[in-house]
Amino acid sequence: MQENGSLKLFKHGPTVEARLFALAFLALALLIVDARWSALEPVRQGISVLLYPFQRIMLAPRDGVERVKGWVDAANEMQIEKAALQRQRIELAQMATHAAQLAAENEQLRRLLNVPDIVTQPSIAVEVLFEPTSAFNHHLVFNKGSSSGIQPGMPVIDEGGVVGQIVRVTPFTAEAALITDDKLSIPVQILRNGLRLIAFGGGADGKMEVRYLTAGADIESGDELVTSGIGGLFPAGLPVAEVDSVHRDSATGFAMALASPLAHPERHRHFLVLQVDVEAARRNEEALNGQTGGRR
Amino acid sequence: MAARRVRVEVARKGAGLSSLEPIDKTPFRLAASPGFIWLTVVLVWLFSLLQWRTWQPAPDLLLLVIAYWCLNEPGRIGMVTAFCFGLLMDVHDGSLLGVHALTYTLVAYGTLVLSRRLQRFNSVVQCIHMLPVFVVAKSASRLIEGWLAGEWLGWGWLWSAILMALLWPLVDVLLQMPQRRHEEGDGGSV
Repeated sequence: MQENGSLKLFKHGPTVEARLFALAFLALALLIVDARWSALEPVRQGISVLLYPFQRIMLAPRDGVERVKGWVDAANEMQIEKAALQRQRIELAQMATHAAQLAAENEQLRRLLNVPDIVTQPSIAVEVLFEPTSAFNHHLVFNKGSSSGIQPGMPVIDEGGVVGQIVRVTPFTAEAALITDDKLSIPVQILRNGLRLIAFGGGADGKMEVRYLTAGADIESGDELVTSGIGGLFPAGLPVAEVDSVHRDSATGFAMALASPLAHPERHRHFLVLQVDVEAARRNEEALNGQTGGRR
Repeated sequence: MAARRVRVEVARKGAGLSSLEPIDKTPFRLAASPGFIWLTVVLVWLFSLLQWRTWQPAPDLLLLVIAYWCLNEPGRIGMVTAFCFGLLMDVHDGSLLGVHALTYTLVAYGTLVLSRRLQRFNSVVQCIHMLPVFVVAKSASRLIEGWLAGEWLGWGWLWSAILMALLWPLVDVLLQMPQRRHEEGDGGSV
């Protein structure tokens, strides 16, 4: 045959259709695997480590402008902050005396009931790097990652209360889902009466939903929801949301409440990540699952 | 009389010459330099890392530039490049891996399939051809993403596709600029 010896004038790769099927199949496989399992996390981490220097370079002008603005405005900002702090100090002084009284009383009661003390939580201050563009979730990307000790599952708070939860970390960045994200649910209780509930993100825009309430549940608009500490990830007593409205459905016998988050992640750039013991919480959960699984 | 005849002769000659002008006056497109192609793609990619894309109808400029080079320089930028840049955008956006990769691959394929036809038209007609390509590619990945997430997030992305099609002639002018300048330089020697 002459074909073997003939000159190759044109480069013949795989046809366009073959390449389309290969790449589209690969993309679909990635999509489905990524949506269902976490097997692709190492790939994502590798790529995001490569991306990180470019992201920082592109954000450098913005950070520079903010820094210069900070310097120029320093005196003015200090005065405003000083006034705010003065006011806060007077308010807090009143509360502090009250709190000291309560703390002493609480300690005494704890001793009586043999309840262990609440430990203070170590935390890491983080800054927002950017808000990822995705219509399907409400996330924020912070400037510290697993190299600073952040792990998936840790809660994020600001001065108002719970902001969200870390869902993904790379060595230098961490991605947090806000409490309004529909994949997040937080064990809460009503501050007024201690009723334990679960608040879910999603639903209406920027709101949280409290679902699976019996129609007679004692919940009213204006109730403050705080974390209940059940589950081990969110420490007890952090403000989460305020109930706006309660919908009671007499047909199903269930009620549902809408609540507005008390934290305002859109107003701040700095947040605290609480370094809870994620491993311990996971072990507890596994132990519980193991028990129920064994019974089956 | 003689002088007049000569003048007529000259006039006739002039008319003859002007009738010899080529029917197709559009200049040949020179190949863009590979450095320029990659520079534009990387610059637009870097620009896409900024925050302006949080606005949902924002046009995907990276996709637009990749589609443009797929049409004009299919030897340099093809479906594999489109796929890789799509994957980079997926990681940056924190979306499911493969959403942008699928869109970019489909747009690159659509452009490559239509390229023979598109090259006969100017950029305004091209942009009418590109609109369905953008819409189909985006709707495919939106449908799959919606199916996996269990919710449909509306039609805001259609504006993005329309804006991209509208920006096509502008991209054509901007990315052809260096090649055009080259032609003008050559014009004197012909």
